[in-house]
Amino acid sequence: MDSTFIDRLRKLVGRRHVLADLDDLRSYGYDASLDRALPDVVALPGSAREVADVVAACVDRGYPFVARGAGTGLSGGALAEGGGVVISTTRMHRILELDALNRLAVVEPGVPNAEISAAAAAHGLRFVPDPSSQAVCTIGGNIAENAGGLHCLAYGVTANHVLGVEVVTADGELVSLGGKTVDTPGYDLLGCFIGSEGTLGIVTQATVRLEPMHEASRTLLAVYDSIENASRAVSDIIGSGIIPGALEMMDRLTTQAVEESVHAGFPTDAEAILIIEVDGVREAVDDIAQAVREVCERHAAREVRLAQSPDERERIWRGRKGAFGAMGRYSPTYYVQDGVIPRTRLPEVLREVSAVSARFGLRIANVFHAGDGNIHPLIIFNADDPGEVERAVVAGDEILRACVRHGGSISGEHGIGTEKRDCMTLQFAPADLELMARVKKVFNARNLCNPRKMFPTSRRCGEGARKLASGELSPALAAAAGPAF
Amino acid sequence: MLGSHPFASQLQQAVGGRVLVHPRDCDDYPVGGASPKLVASPVGVQEAARVAKLIGDERERLVVRGGGTKSSRPPCADALFAVLDMSKCEGVLAYEPGDLTISVKAGTKLAHLQSVLARHGQFFPCDAAHAARATIGGTLAASANGALRQRYGSLRDNTLGMRVALSDGTVAFSGAKVVKSVAGYDAYKLFIGSLGTLGVIGEVTLKVSPLPGEQALVAIRFASARDAADAALDVARSPLFVLAMTLHDPAAGTRIRGLPRTPEERDWLLVIRCGGSRSAVRRQLDGAVAICERRRGRDFLETPHEAVARVWADIAELAAGDAYPSNGFVAARFTGLPADVPPLVDALRRAWPTCEITAHPAVGVVYAHVPADASTFSPSTIEAFWKACERSHWSVQFLSAPPALAAVARAPIPPSIPRGLNQKVKAALDPRGVFDPTRGAAGLL
Repeated sequence: MDSTFIDRLRKLVGRRHVLADLDDLRSYGYDASLDRALPDVVALPGSAREVADVVAACVDRGYPFVARGAGTGLSGGALAEGGGVVISTTRMHRILELDALNRLAVVEPGVPNAEISAAAAAHGLRFVPDPSSQAVCTIGGNIAENAGGLHCLAYGVTANHVLGVEVVTADGELVSLGGKTVDTPGYDLLGCFIGSEGTLGIVTQATVRLEPMHEASRTLLAVYDSIENASRAVSDIIGSGIIPGALEMMDRLTTQAVEESVHAGFPTDAEAILIIEVDGVREAVDDIAQAVREVCERHAAREVRLAQSPDERERIWRGRKGAFGAMGRYSPTYYVQDGVIPRTRLPEVLREVSAVSARFGLRIANVFHAGDGNIHPLIIFNADDPGEVERAVVAGDEILRACVRHGGSISGEHGIGTEKRDCMTLQFAPADLELMARVKKVFNARNLCNPRKMFPTSRRCGEGARKLASGELSPALAAAAGPAF
Repeated sequence: MLGSHPFASQLQQAVGGRVLVHPRDCDDYPVGGASPKLVASPVGVQEAARVAKLIGDERERLVVRGGGTKSSRPPCADALFAVLDMSKCEGVLAYEPGDLTISVKAGTKLAHLQSVLARHGQFFPCDAAHAARATIGGTLAASANGALRQRYGSLRDNTLGMRVALSDGTVAFSGAKVVKSVAGYDAYKLFIGSLGTLGVIGEVTLKVSPLPGEQALVAIRFASARDAADAALDVARSPLFVLAMTLHDPAAGTRIRGLPRTPEERDWLLVIRCGGSRSAVRRQLDGAVAICERRRGRDFLETPHEAVARVWADIAELAAGDAYPSNGFVAARFTGLPADVPPLVDALRRAWPTCEITAHPAVGVVYAHVPADASTFSPSTIEAFWKACERSHWSVQFLSAPPALAAVARAPIPPSIPRGLNQKVKAALDPRGVFDPTRGAAGLL
């Protein structure tokens, strides 16, 4: 990248806010996925106007650009594969408005997720989506990835809690999608934009919906000697008409790691535990908790423990949220999958995951949103052993194939990015991808805005490459996928 | 004569003979007051795609029609060529109660959908009127949300995936058939509220919810719209999590037949729908009443569980405008901030003192039904009213208007709406303009 362009960026956002030294760039070359990619330069604009100016400068020179929040993404969405400009939104971190009467907040994209709820708490309100990384992950990234969290089943994902966004389009134009009110005129561009993984534009401001906090909640821990029984209890709880605020499952490998690091009080000899949270008005939560307990016991729970104090509840949730981190006990590296299956298929799919583990000789820990059927098998591998890395990747693909075979999805909340792009053809037919390519062209015709993401490019998962070679994928789709295609 | 045209026989072939060309038959499928020259009735999304392509190849346009419950929706096509009747494209494709998902063909009637789900103690949280005739595809295309969105989210929030037919004859799926997925763009959301201008909604996968074990309504009378709306905002901000709230002006309130007593003529009526376990419902009712008392609400009338559905059907008809004769009223939906409901109501009553109002105060939606009379729709009244809307950022959508007033029933598009992107979406998905664009937001496409 030539120095005149970098100088131009410095003029636009200020000298201090452009990073071009290798040491600085390294911090922007990774996210929480396995992929790594060094950008050529990083710009940290301080306003929507500056974002638009930086994008316009990139477009002018034909440089690709990628928006980045906190870099906690799990699919490579914020990586500048092949180089280009990273546009970091972290300087834009103000909560601009908190309107308790209308239950909404207007925020800049770099505001961390948890800060919104913290600010709203004084009014008895909260921002519902709560990904595990909520202390640092930004609302801009949440919108790009349509982030989920522990409470999606009952209360929805990011897309259900955003009223409007202001975005800089791939052409550098500042536009509003949605607004502060529901049902703004025209097509639901907002709905289509959320979850587009930064490929349709850059969020520079968001209006999010706030919900009242629940009056009361109860947290239960159900302990099982068989994963099958735990899975059946999950289906039966939902089938009985109860939608818990959260319904999480962890297997033995996970609880053992968690106990060694977090000391959450989980039994380490149980095959599976369920963490179930119910919430509502004071008068009702005990009844619901009792109903959940009965279902769990019907499916041969060894023990069902109701958290007796806020401390105990907090400890249980700390254990769940610390599960990914605790995997470091086994290996510094793991490959996390994010497939979704109809929850009634949990027993079969978990058996298949276990078979994949045996076949590839890799340990796989399971910790996931059982209520959503959103499984997170963590494939543990040694990064210094190239053979093992390759096996982990193929094992991951096998698990995703199983999810799709059972009518599910290859990603529930982590996104496709670079990591899963070549598995898109497992789930979508060429005509489906063509429709998405047409949408991409509307917003991002030059394909400079986060190229090489989401659309299939090569031979992982096999299908993409085969269809490419046989001409089943059209030129329009090839264009959407970008230069690597 | 169309019947003998080779194109007609191709169409017949495409949809297994389900094509009408006789004017007498076509009159049964009016859209916007006009009758089409032909009606094709596919039974599947592939057939719908073939029809769309054939009509596009003829350089003609078509209008997609579900149950015909919104066929008076303006503006109408100037010359209506073809109607793609989706009412025969019906049936459940997959339903697994334990997964909380159901996949159906788009022409499935809402009442049928709900009855299938009810057998398993579930429902699709949508309270559109005329459930016996209204199709799920039409309901989504019109984005006919009801007051239940307060608790359950909008139609868009409860739609997981969709298979659509495009005008080039392709059929494409987006979204997923499970409750959670972020794979690919949610392109299907573009079709929700698109009024059939992008393509045909062929199959949909919906997220369903358990029916609350117990339900009840409480109706509360208020001397002013402001008090009632303020009470509604207080309830919405409370941890009671009621299912829905609707607000009615004195005249509209008397149209709710199922309520035990009609309100006095001058009173505004706030109806609160509660649901959950028996103890939760009791708490919601008591909590809501206590909040309303603080806002000077009075005469609390409870409707028990078994009567909720009947009363709510009346309320849904009020919002959808079906309680009013379509040639006698102009019906419009306004959306704005919840706290701005009272000033909007004031502005409406100033411009049209006899208009009837039903609002969903917690979500910021107001339905107005204005007696249709050319004298009340003078250009100056309309102009002044649009200005008021623009000042307070209200957007407007017309739901129905008599043909004589079709010309005034065109809402301005706020300057903040990205017109260019909307037009590009239309051009990308339907480049030949086969799906009648005049039915989209007027002036936007």
